[in-house]
Amino acid sequence: MRELLQRLAQYAHWAVFLILELLAGIMLFRYNHYQQSVWLTQANAVVGRVLEWKAGMLSYVGLGKRNAELTERNIVLQMEATRLRRELGAAQPDSTDTDSLRAEALNGARLIPAQVVANSVRRDDNYLTINRGSADGVCPEMGVLSGTGIVGIVGKTSPHYALVMSVLNTQSSISCRLRGTEYFGYLHWQGGSPLRAYIDDIPRHARFEVGDEVETSGYSSVFPAGIFVGRVAKISDSADGLAYRLEVELSTDLANVRDVCIIVRDDAEELDSMIVEN
Amino acid sequence: MLVGLIIRLILMLALAALQVLVLNDVHLFGYATPMLYVAFLLRFPLNTPRVGVLLWAFLMGLTVDVGSGTPGMGAAAMTLAGMLCQPLLRVMSPRDATDDIVATPHSMGRMTHFHYVAILVVVHHAVFYLLESFTFHHPIPLLISFASSALLSLVLIIVFETLRLPKA
Repeated sequence: MRELLQRLAQYAHWAVFLILELLAGIMLFRYNHYQQSVWLTQANAVVGRVLEWKAGMLSYVGLGKRNAELTERNIVLQMEATRLRRELGAAQPDSTDTDSLRAEALNGARLIPAQVVANSVRRDDNYLTINRGSADGVCPEMGVLSGTGIVGIVGKTSPHYALVMSVLNTQSSISCRLRGTEYFGYLHWQGGSPLRAYIDDIPRHARFEVGDEVETSGYSSVFPAGIFVGRVAKISDSADGLAYRLEVELSTDLANVRDVCIIVRDDAEELDSMIVEN
Repeated sequence: MLVGLIIRLILMLALAALQVLVLNDVHLFGYATPMLYVAFLLRFPLNTPRVGVLLWAFLMGLTVDVGSGTPGMGAAAMTLAGMLCQPLLRVMSPRDATDDIVATPHSMGRMTHFHYVAILVVVHHAVFYLLESFTFHHPIPLLISFASSALLSLVLIIVFETLRLPKA
């Protein structure tokens, strides 16, 4: 008996080895599940604090470039404002149009500003960590935007941090449509360039061209309709040849995103419950 | 015993912090990210209980995983490397080596030590990069990241070890 136990003890490291590898495997496969605790992610309190500190330090490094970008953005917005003012003047009777569009886009939604503390774009499944969590009213399934477009969807939250599944995640799927039409499809990313994503299933009879704008469709409770996603960069056939496959140049450079907003839609639960009932 | 444990814990946290705060932001040529924390395995004498080495290796990988948002990949890779490091050290250490030999350029000879580290790094990086992209079909970029990162990590670890033990 004792000999048997000794023999077994000699091989204990094999058992430990298998158990540890199994644990690692479980972590790997369950990472995308909402139910799993947020403990072993970058959104846990200690790591979140450290990463926030790092992001704060690094934010000084890129100030020059960021300033240049802001200036450029400013000029673009000024030009756009001028153009819009002119158009608005020309169409004075319909002046409520723009306002109502904007109001419609943000219908029933609030924005929570947040900052990115950790980010990746080089993996196949990328995540961001932001410095707002459940204590600030952030819940899983909320949409995250930057000034230039969509960023991702909140996956897990801890009290002060949240883990966001980036658009640059092979598991991400966001309902989008071509602006001005009702043709819609799901935006997917397949790795590679952080500025290129794909929309499948745009029907053959749809009329559009390279350079057309892509926006969110509003068919889910995550993003309201009409949020800018990017522009059509290339049109090709889908794998089965029955539909178009669009290559979209994303408007947000996720490698370089720092200030974001979380969309809180107070009607989200209602919308979701209706979808379930149907 | 306790002091040794605490020193080991501090070393682990320091390596993890270095990885998360500095090295994860290195993308040399857009591909190569060094992973210095594999060097943690070089700090275990040959007669350390194997279960202990495994647990430490797993913990090291897990800490880096939590910090860099890579679920389980570092832990899996480090556990395998931790499983291999002792049998490998036994085979590659000199014939007359004592049982408490630690893997240093001095104790093993510069060239053998280099090979030893290289094998550990390649095993670790291979597992890490395979797990990172096993659902994925871009073999060429995968191979480039794997090879360039392994090379960079190896160079860094050798430099690190040489600087740490200048005369020994």
